[in-house]
Amino acid sequence: MKSLDITLEIFRYKSGEQPHYDTFTVQVDDTAHVIDAIDKVWAEHDHTLMFRRACHHSSCGSCALRINGVEKLPCITRFSDVGDGKIPLRIEPLRNFPIVGDLVVDVSGFFQRMSASDMSITRDAESTLPLSVDDLSTIVQPKVVELPDNLTHFNRFENCIECGICMSACPTMAVDNKFFGPAGLAAIYCALQKTDDPDEKAHLMALANGEQGVWRCHSAFECTEACPQAVDPAGKIMALRRELTANRLKKAGRS
Amino acid sequence: MATLEQPKVRRAGRWFDVRHRKIGMWAYALNRITGIGLVVYLYLHLVVLSTLSRGPGSWDAFISLARQPYFLILDVILLAGILIHGLNGIRIALTSFDVGVKRQKALFSGLMLVALVALSAAALKIFGG
Amino acid sequence: MENRLTNEMMENPFAQEPKASSSWYWQIFTGIALIFLLGLHFIANHFIAQGGIRDYADVVSYLRNPIILVWEVLFLIVVATHAMLGIRAIVMDFGISAQAEKRLSQALTVVGVLTVAYGLWLTWAIIH
Repeated sequence: MKSLDITLEIFRYKSGEQPHYDTFTVQVDDTAHVIDAIDKVWAEHDHTLMFRRACHHSSCGSCALRINGVEKLPCITRFSDVGDGKIPLRIEPLRNFPIVGDLVVDVSGFFQRMSASDMSITRDAESTLPLSVDDLSTIVQPKVVELPDNLTHFNRFENCIECGICMSACPTMAVDNKFFGPAGLAAIYCALQKTDDPDEKAHLMALANGEQGVWRCHSAFECTEACPQAVDPAGKIMALRRELTANRLKKAGRS
Repeated sequence: MATLEQPKVRRAGRWFDVRHRKIGMWAYALNRITGIGLVVYLYLHLVVLSTLSRGPGSWDAFISLARQPYFLILDVILLAGILIHGLNGIRIALTSFDVGVKRQKALFSGLMLVALVALSAAALKIFGG
Repeated sequence: MENRLTNEMMENPFAQEPKASSSWYWQIFTGIALIFLLGLHFIANHFIAQGGIRDYADVVSYLRNPIILVWEVLFLIVVATHAMLGIRAIVMDFGISAQAEKRLSQALTVVGVLTVAYGLWLTWAIIH
C-alpha cells in the first residue's frame, strides 16, 4: 500500500457566481477510491465544497459524477482506473440536471419520473417480514408473502440504484426536459414484469407510449454503456417498444 | 436555487459531441447529420430538376456541370450520406423491434463496413467511367 | 394501490398518461420502403443510364413509362413523408409544448404536400 498524490480540478458553482474550476492536491492511499480524495479536499482544504456521498459501495447512487468527462461512481472508482495519479482528475457534476451547487445536482425531476413508474419499495410488505434473525422466533410472526405465479422468488431488489448516470449520458436528455429518460423507462419495464393487474399494466404501457416516452430514444445506447449496475436501460426501452407494438397489433387484430 | 442551464438551442450542440462516448453515439450523431444533410439535398435536387421544365437546352447545361470533377466529388459525399443514413436506419429499425439489441455495436460496425465497400465501389465507377 | 396511483397522477406530471404516438412506425415503414424506392431510382438514373446521367430525351422517355411513373411518384411521396417525419423528430427532441407540436405537425404537413405537388407538376411538365 503506497501513498499517491492526486490532483483534482473540481467544478465550482454557487448561485450568483461565475462557474470555474478549483485545483487541489491531496494524499491518499493507492487502495482508496476517488470519493475518498474528494472527501479529503472537503476535510483538509475547502469546507464550502458541495458534493453527495453516502454508502461508499455503489448501492445508494448518491455520488454519481463525471471524472475526466466520463460518468462514474467515484466510490468504486480506483485511482488505477483513472490514471493512477499521473494525470489530474477533472471532477464535474452529472450532465442534464440543473446544478444546485458545485457537484450537487437537482434530482427532483429524476425522482418524479422514478415514482411515476411506481418503483418504490412498499413499507406494507416490509413490516410483515422479519426485521432480523433475532426477531424470527420472538417478536414478529412473519406473514407468508403470497408470490404471483410467474415469480420464483421475491423480486424486491432491482439492479438500478437510481444514480442518474444514464440520464447524464443520454443525448436526448441533453435538450429535452420532458423526456421520460432511460432510468424511468427501464423502471416502467421492470414494474410491468412485476404486476398482473391489467389496469396497472395498461397505465404503465401508456406512460411509455407517449411522444416523450420510448419514442424519443434514438438508439445511441449510451445509457447502457454508462450504467454502473448492468441495468441495460436501452435494452429495456427496445423491449418496451416490442411490447407496445405487439399490443397495438393485437388491438388492431381484434377490431 | 442555483441553476446553470443554457438555452435549448445551445444544448443541441451536445447531440454531436462524441467525446468520451462510445460507438452508439457516433451512430446517433451521424444519423442526425446525414438526415439534415439529405433534407437539404432533397430540396436542392428538386430545384435543380426544375431546369427540365425549361427544355433540353437548360438541362444539357446542367449535365456538363454535373460532369465536372468537383461535382462528382459532391456526388460521392452525397452517396456517403445516403449509405450511412440508410444502413444505420436498418440498425435502428431492427433494434426498435428488439432484434439485435445485444449486438448493436457490432451491427453498426458491420453496416458501416458495408457502406464503405459500397461507397468505394461507387466512387470507382463514378471516377473510372 | 389505486389511491396511490390517482394521487400520483394529480401531482406528478410524469404520471399523467400521454397520447399514444404512431409517428415512429411511419418513419420506419417509409425508411424501409425507401431502400427499394430510392435504390431503383438511383440505379435507373445513374447506373443504367449512359454516362451516369440521362439527357433530356432520355428523361422524357423514362418518365413516359407508366410503371416508372408510378414508381417515381410513390418515391416522391414516401421520401417527402420520411423527410417531414425526420424534421418533426428533431424538433420534438427540443421538448416542445403540446400546442407547438400541433402547429409543427400542421406546418410540416403543408410543406410535405407542397413538395409532392411541385414534384407532380414538374413530372407532368416534363412528360408533356
